[in-house]
Amino acid sequence: MIGEISHFLSLSAVLLLSLILIFNFFFFFAKIHPNQLILSLRLFNQACWLVFISFGMYVYLAISDDFSIAYIASHSNSQLPIFYKIASIWSAHEGSMFLWIVFLTAWSVLFINSLDKKHPLKKLTLLMLSLIILGFLLFLLLTSNPFERILPFGAVEGADINPVLQDPALAIHPPMLYLGYVGFVIAFSFITAYLLNGDFDLQWEKEIKKWSFVAWIFLTIGITLGSWWAYYELGWGGYWFWDPVENVALMPWLAATAFMHSLFASSKSSVLKTWTMFLGILIFALSLFGAFIVRSGIIDSVHSFANDPERGLYLLGFSGFITLLALGIFAYRLPAINSSKLVVTGSKESFLSMNNILMVTSIFSIFLGVTYPLIIESISGEKVSIGPPYYNTIFAPLILIAAMFIMASIDALWQRSITIKALCMNITVPIILSLLCVYIVWKVTAIFSILPYIGIFSGLLILLSYFLRVINNLFNKKFINKGSGIAHIGLGLLFFAVSMNSILSYEKNLNLAPGQSISVNESVQEFFFKDIQVLEASNHDIISAEVSIFQDGRTIFLNPQKRKYTVRGQITSESAIHASVMKDTYLTIGDQLENGSWTFSLKINYFIKWIWFSATLMVLGMLLTIFKKTAP
Amino acid sequence: MLQVRKNRLWKLIIILFLSAGGISLILFSLNSKLDLFYTPSEMLIADIKPGYRIKLGGMVKNGSIRRDGTLIEFLVTDFSEEVPVTFDGVPPDLFKEDSGVVILGYFLDGRFEAEEIFAKHDENYMPPELLIDEVKA
Repeated sequence: MIGEISHFLSLSAVLLLSLILIFNFFFFFAKIHPNQLILSLRLFNQACWLVFISFGMYVYLAISDDFSIAYIASHSNSQLPIFYKIASIWSAHEGSMFLWIVFLTAWSVLFINSLDKKHPLKKLTLLMLSLIILGFLLFLLLTSNPFERILPFGAVEGADINPVLQDPALAIHPPMLYLGYVGFVIAFSFITAYLLNGDFDLQWEKEIKKWSFVAWIFLTIGITLGSWWAYYELGWGGYWFWDPVENVALMPWLAATAFMHSLFASSKSSVLKTWTMFLGILIFALSLFGAFIVRSGIIDSVHSFANDPERGLYLLGFSGFITLLALGIFAYRLPAINSSKLVVTGSKESFLSMNNILMVTSIFSIFLGVTYPLIIESISGEKVSIGPPYYNTIFAPLILIAAMFIMASIDALWQRSITIKALCMNITVPIILSLLCVYIVWKVTAIFSILPYIGIFSGLLILLSYFLRVINNLFNKKFINKGSGIAHIGLGLLFFAVSMNSILSYEKNLNLAPGQSISVNESVQEFFFKDIQVLEASNHDIISAEVSIFQDGRTIFLNPQKRKYTVRGQITSESAIHASVMKDTYLTIGDQLENGSWTFSLKINYFIKWIWFSATLMVLGMLLTIFKKTAP
Repeated sequence: MLQVRKNRLWKLIIILFLSAGGISLILFSLNSKLDLFYTPSEMLIADIKPGYRIKLGGMVKNGSIRRDGTLIEFLVTDFSEEVPVTFDGVPPDLFKEDSGVVILGYFLDGRFEAEEIFAKHDENYMPPELLIDEVKA
């Protein structure tokens, strides 16, 4: 019964949203009546509440193990803790789409009610948001209905959540990511409304700035959590695979980052106005593209949901329609927009716009990397895939140029050209120091590979420039932008850590019998496989190995495990990780051989913790920027 | 020429130069960094340059897995041809006999040297090509 009510509420939301659109369409040519907006707003708020209540009931259904609902029956289980019963809702396509829509609705309703009652763009924004929510609700109900019942009798027991997904980081990762993705619907609809409205003297940056910043934080946290989870759960010891689905999350992130930067330029010195608008539209368009790639099954990826052409077609059609609509309005209004001021060469905004170009270039290269296999396959029928080497070659030079511009922009001023002399003074010291550090790295590691060294050099350039700036600041008491500083130090650290990780990390495959010990290398002097045990847990059996490693003068104990889940019969590996400041010792147990010995994979991952730490710094920098008192 | 125009021209030249450089870099790396995908039958008749990294997709033949220390040997089949594969390391959890695999590596003298074996999150995963073949058969 509750299932039907929940279903009915979602359907009613569809009805209300359609009403708003139809009603406003008929009154489009009539003189705007003050009550028109009030009525639309009321209908919109009610529709949003219906979606929330409907989802709330769905959560209740999942908690109370209603296995007559087909989706819950195939993704949850009565033995699961409540936390995972709720998380099982977003463990597959239908439920995660539902969550996606709930977040879309939440952002929309919060934003529209925060706008001033008399704001001239309120009505158009409302209509745009209604259209988008309606489109996705229809997609959910028509092609991927989570409310479907198993008739006449429901399942007795659920089929269980996929064990690799049964993990706290992964339970939080999709909600964070979705909050980020859909948060940019605000910038998208507000900018579209602004362009439609046609009054270009109006200020639009202020209203959407903080909303976009918050969405950016969620997106960053979402991507980082996903990467962290992949690292410790999948047992490959990697943190980023350039998988198409990771790429479609990275593209909106890059677009959002570019957008925020140009938003600063646009609000500080009214340059790049149209460019900023374009980026604002692009972010959400890329989010929609991502939803299409992941949910159509068009690309074979570890993340893809079941292949369904109908869903793909609907998503492609609807996303394409929304994107083309916005871009069409943009193109139509472009000549009419009062050309904003020109960027002064050598000013802060000039460096900033160069990096904007670089970010768009990288979005384009990723887009090409994602779609190229599809293009090749449809032309020649050959199956190809594009892996990390492509992205590494593309990103290394881009990162280097970006680092140069970041370094140059630190001391540059808004709207005023920096003198060549000042520029040289600012960049000489970091360049020399970075080169020196790179030389030391080369001497110490005795490894040389051009791409990682470009990364190390670029990372150091950014880090050292900011450190010098901070030291300088201690003496001169000059103004320093803390938020931007911390975020960029995070970026420099990211480049540095990723590159160091790629040259220093290594892997050893070992084969030992219980009780045996071997020496691996100078660092891992003794690897002692003490014993192996079979344990039982609530919903899985555990094979747990006891290993002690004598590494760099210290003994560490590791317990890598293999788990067999009783319901699905699926086997997963639980890697054992020992973390120190510089490196992780990452151990995975393999299989038992006929002679009773076991295989192990020992990975030494350098600077891996620093990668997550750098993402944290970026988020922290962003938070500081949001909560900063508006400068006088 | 006006100073403003001169500046604008310079900017335009720099932008054009950068994007031309960028695009040629992209196209260059796209062409050299592609991994071609083959099924065993395709691989045996294809003309593959030695030292060219490729992907092999198929099923692990039942009863074909042999282990020696950390070394694993097995046959990948598409139900008409099979290719012997060697791999040094710990394969992913979902690697087992009679299930689908995708392997990245090098094909040399009739043997496939695996660099990486890919696991799919989905335990029922099978390379799409094989599914189509099965339906046909």
